[in-house]
Amino acid sequence: MSNTILHASGIVKTFLSGDRRIEVLRGVNLEVVAGESISIRGESGSGKSTLLHLLAGLDAPDAGALTWEGSPDTGAKRRAAFLGIVFQSFYLIPELDALQNVLMARRIVGHVGSAERARAKELLTRVGLAERMDHLPTQLSGGERQRVAVARALMNSPRLILADEPTGNLDEHTGSAVIELLLSLCRETGTTLVLVTHNADHAAKCGRQLVLREGRFA
Amino acid sequence: MPWYLYLAIKQLFPTGRRFPFFTAISVVSVSLGVALLIVVLGVMGGFGYQIRAMITDTEGEIQIKSRGLISDYPGVVKKVAAVPGVAGATPYAAGMLMVQYQNKPAFPQMRGLDLGSLDRVVSLGKFVRIGSLEALDDDSVILSGGLADALGVRLGAMVDIYTPLMLAKKDGEIILPRTARVVGILEIGHQQLDSSTLYCTLRMAQDLYGLGRDVHGINLRVAPGAREDEVAARVNAILPDDVRAFSWRDSFADFLWVLQLEKNMMMFVLLFVVLVAAFLTMSLLLVLVLKKTREIGLLGALGASRRQIALCFCLQGVGVGVVGTGLGLALGFTVLHFRNDLVRAITHLTGGQELLARFYQFSELPEHLENRDLALIVVSALVLSTLAGIIPAVMAARLKPVEALRSE
Repeated sequence: MSNTILHASGIVKTFLSGDRRIEVLRGVNLEVVAGESISIRGESGSGKSTLLHLLAGLDAPDAGALTWEGSPDTGAKRRAAFLGIVFQSFYLIPELDALQNVLMARRIVGHVGSAERARAKELLTRVGLAERMDHLPTQLSGGERQRVAVARALMNSPRLILADEPTGNLDEHTGSAVIELLLSLCRETGTTLVLVTHNADHAAKCGRQLVLREGRFA
Repeated sequence: MPWYLYLAIKQLFPTGRRFPFFTAISVVSVSLGVALLIVVLGVMGGFGYQIRAMITDTEGEIQIKSRGLISDYPGVVKKVAAVPGVAGATPYAAGMLMVQYQNKPAFPQMRGLDLGSLDRVVSLGKFVRIGSLEALDDDSVILSGGLADALGVRLGAMVDIYTPLMLAKKDGEIILPRTARVVGILEIGHQQLDSSTLYCTLRMAQDLYGLGRDVHGINLRVAPGAREDEVAARVNAILPDDVRAFSWRDSFADFLWVLQLEKNMMMFVLLFVVLVAAFLTMSLLLVLVLKKTREIGLLGALGASRRQIALCFCLQGVGVGVVGTGLGLALGFTVLHFRNDLVRAITHLTGGQELLARFYQFSELPEHLENRDLALIVVSALVLSTLAGIIPAVMAARLKPVEALRSE
């Protein structure tokens, strides 16, 4: 139990569409152990992203409980230190260059000094962007932007990385490279990874594969 | 530097963009409003300041008046001259006259001046355009420019002077006017004072009004650094009850009130320009919030609190206010510095330079911006710009990260 860094039990989430209630998640249970990599697959609309938002504490479930390392505190402050998130659409801040985008994750939680700058540069070097640190997002390709987003997710040395379809906006080749990078970085740093994807090949690269169907893990 | 300040600066002045459209439009609108306020209030203040200078240059800062006449004025002058803060005192006689030159009449105000003590209180000599104050004696007068023009009088001309005292002569008696030589023409630069005033010696004025040794009042000059209101209070303490000292502020209270009212109304009306600029900033910030919905969601996902997100957008309003006010001050003071060149250029083009001097009383556009007005302009612009950032900031803070991220 001490190795469990994320525990979700009986997660229920319902959305209203006009007068219709759509029960997207119907009692999802998930236990994530430190250091493992998990993939969650499912068809479009199966609730993968909704589940990931709930696991990240960005949304509240209608029923069920979520704990991070045994604590129910999933607030903004804790989230900044506990987990890193990689989104399908990168979400880089267009006014900031690659280095400053990575550092933004650190700025939000505290001071940015020379040690933090060195770490951000090291991460960008590790993701293959040593020569593109001062480039704005508009000057980067899709794959490069996603690699900046990966470096940003790792900036605060999180215990857990949640990746929501990180290859969704990339071609097959670039997408595979990004997944390889993400997995290797997580392995190197001992970071736990929960990867939401609809790509079976990418999912197969994770230690544990889960499939979400009709609001529950199959 | 907190991240929300860093990001606010970066969003206002993005790296690699020389002309950030949103910032430029917002900053220019605030700048124009501030510059307009600086220029208008500077010129309005200049009018007031110039009028104050003219009043004190010609009347002194304090006037002693009596319900009737002031008898034994040398005794009063001696007493008040000893009051701390009084630098000089000069008696005067004043009243209405009729002046006639070649059958052309005019009805100026008379000022009877005590030439012995005049220099200690007022510096009238510097306003004499033709002739000199030294030439003034008991048989001569100095006319204001407007009066000389109205009568067609030149230096050395003889004018006839009639006083109200002559109306009291018995029936059948021939009224003989007093004849005086014009030894100077004086122009203060204020249309009201220059239009119709006759200056003569105190003795001549006393003769014309039958005052004997009495005078109508005493003008006082206040020592540098002394406050005229305090000095007036000290003078009143030693004067009998029927003789009172009034500071120039008290004497011209109504006029000064109108000037202040005009200035306040100008400020009130022109503040709407800054208000419109603030609304423009607010609408642009609202557009920015809508445009950056997903980034706001990202910041929330990265751990930013709602308060910090609100501050990020609110500080952009503050930034627009600070930069806009700074540029507005620079623009406003530059325009004020070159105001007369600008007016000359405009009147040269429109051909109305003489009309300007005639109707606006000043040949040069005066300028005087009080620190209080400057502070009010700066604070108003900063407060309105900050308020302009608050609504977009609240809107941004109310976005839930997950909904903002779903907005695509």
